[in-house]
Amino acid sequence: MLAALNKYRHAFLIGLQSNLVYRWNFAVRGFFSLFHLAVVFILWGAAFAGAGKIGGFDLRQTLTYFITLLVLQFFISAFNEDYQISEEIRNGLINQFLLKPINYFLYRFSIFVAARLVSGALVFIPLLIAMPILKDYMTFPIEWWRFGLAVPALLLSALIQFSIAYCFGMLTFWFLEIQGFVILSLAIETVLGGQVFPLDLLPPRVFEAAQYLPFYYQMYFPGAIITGRLNDVADISRGLAIELFWVVLLLGLGHLLWVRGLRRHTAVGG
Amino acid sequence: MSYVRIWLATARYSIIRTLMFRGDFFVWSLVELFWMTVNLLLVSVIYQHTESIAGWSKYEMVLLVGTSMIVQRLLMGFFWSSIFEMGRNVRTGNFDFFLAQPGNVMFMATTRKLDPDGLINSFVAGGVVIYAVRQLGLHPGVLDVALYLFMLICGLAIHYSILVLSTSLVFWLTSAQGVEGGYFTLTEFSRLPREAFKGITNTLFVWVLPVVVVSNTPARTLLHGFEWRWAVWLFVLASAWFAFTVWVFNRGLRRYASASS
Repeated sequence: MLAALNKYRHAFLIGLQSNLVYRWNFAVRGFFSLFHLAVVFILWGAAFAGAGKIGGFDLRQTLTYFITLLVLQFFISAFNEDYQISEEIRNGLINQFLLKPINYFLYRFSIFVAARLVSGALVFIPLLIAMPILKDYMTFPIEWWRFGLAVPALLLSALIQFSIAYCFGMLTFWFLEIQGFVILSLAIETVLGGQVFPLDLLPPRVFEAAQYLPFYYQMYFPGAIITGRLNDVADISRGLAIELFWVVLLLGLGHLLWVRGLRRHTAVGG
Repeated sequence: MSYVRIWLATARYSIIRTLMFRGDFFVWSLVELFWMTVNLLLVSVIYQHTESIAGWSKYEMVLLVGTSMIVQRLLMGFFWSSIFEMGRNVRTGNFDFFLAQPGNVMFMATTRKLDPDGLINSFVAGGVVIYAVRQLGLHPGVLDVALYLFMLICGLAIHYSILVLSTSLVFWLTSAQGVEGGYFTLTEFSRLPREAFKGITNTLFVWVLPVVVVSNTPARTLLHGFEWRWAVWLFVLASAWFAFTVWVFNRGLRRYASASS
């Protein structure tokens, strides 16, 4: 058991090193996110000028939600994992894993965890620089039970994010070019994940329907627990159960695609 | 005239290529359509909870977003792939190919490929603008529409210049990675009303980088009629940005030393 874990510890450490090489890319991406945050501040600031509260929340609570989501994005989002997996399949690099006693999903997941630790740590640089402005707009509910529920929600969200990326990567066994599908799905994930607007601003029936989709748990669910947009413990527990269901389903789907995909795969070259 | 013939030849090549990869064309058209829908959805959701954003009503905002989308889709359709590849070609040395062609290097390098999916979606964006005009009960005259189209061309020239200018940095930095993300971040500002910008953001995004003016000025022309000062200002801005871009590009070209082994 320990020996098995040791393999993935090494993959994690290599992932850590190779992602540190791209530290400036992550930092630059973080700085660009500040511009996105500026758009959010200007747009929602102007919208709130005409209405004291929107969806029962004031401007500070809404901006806190967007700042939180920005940080979470760097900690739990899949960036280009689907593309990396796709490239490994296309270039035949995947062949080496077929001959070794290593689980490809766990190998990629170890690297994903390492990458998110690096990007998550680096997003704090631009955030700290912008903190003198941001601090006036941040307000978090201080209730400790939230953190007890937010931690499992975040871990499961990261698993959903990675599993979806993994499934898209697996599609390369059937389609050589998956970038179009990925960006198409990104548009849906961005909206239904709550990154464009807080999902609770949707009409109640649409909002309720969104709760049964995996996208809701990618970003909105943990973000809403942390920022106080979700307050009922029973509702959050029910959400955690649905989130767990999606994790299991997506893990199963990823495995199925891997098994079926390998049947189609032809390893060529020496 | 010979440049028109060259451009028509590249356009023909791009369309034939698109017809060869029809599935790709369909998926990418859908991708752009989805992202445009995301922007309209945001407007729709916010206006369910408020009457106005910086004095702009819902359909005025739809008109603004539609205008911004037209300029962006035209840029994607006519220039995006070529400019994006230019950055890569300078790094790899494949840029030699453009230097050997009998024509202006900047023209050849930035107009080599057309993306019909972007061009098709510019019609969809145009449809959004017409829908907003109808909902607002506007009846713009021929002159207003002509001026609107003229301003869109000026806006396209400004977007083109900003993108070529930032990609030209590759001559000095050997990598223009991140330009793509930077450009999309900038276009986010162009979907906001000018009145929402205050203080430093007003200076930076309205005056220094005129992405806000590019969408707001034509939209205001349809909403409030012809304002010659803004039309002249946009034309001057477009000319200045284009001239500056040509100058920087040519300076960069002098530094290009190829990269072949």
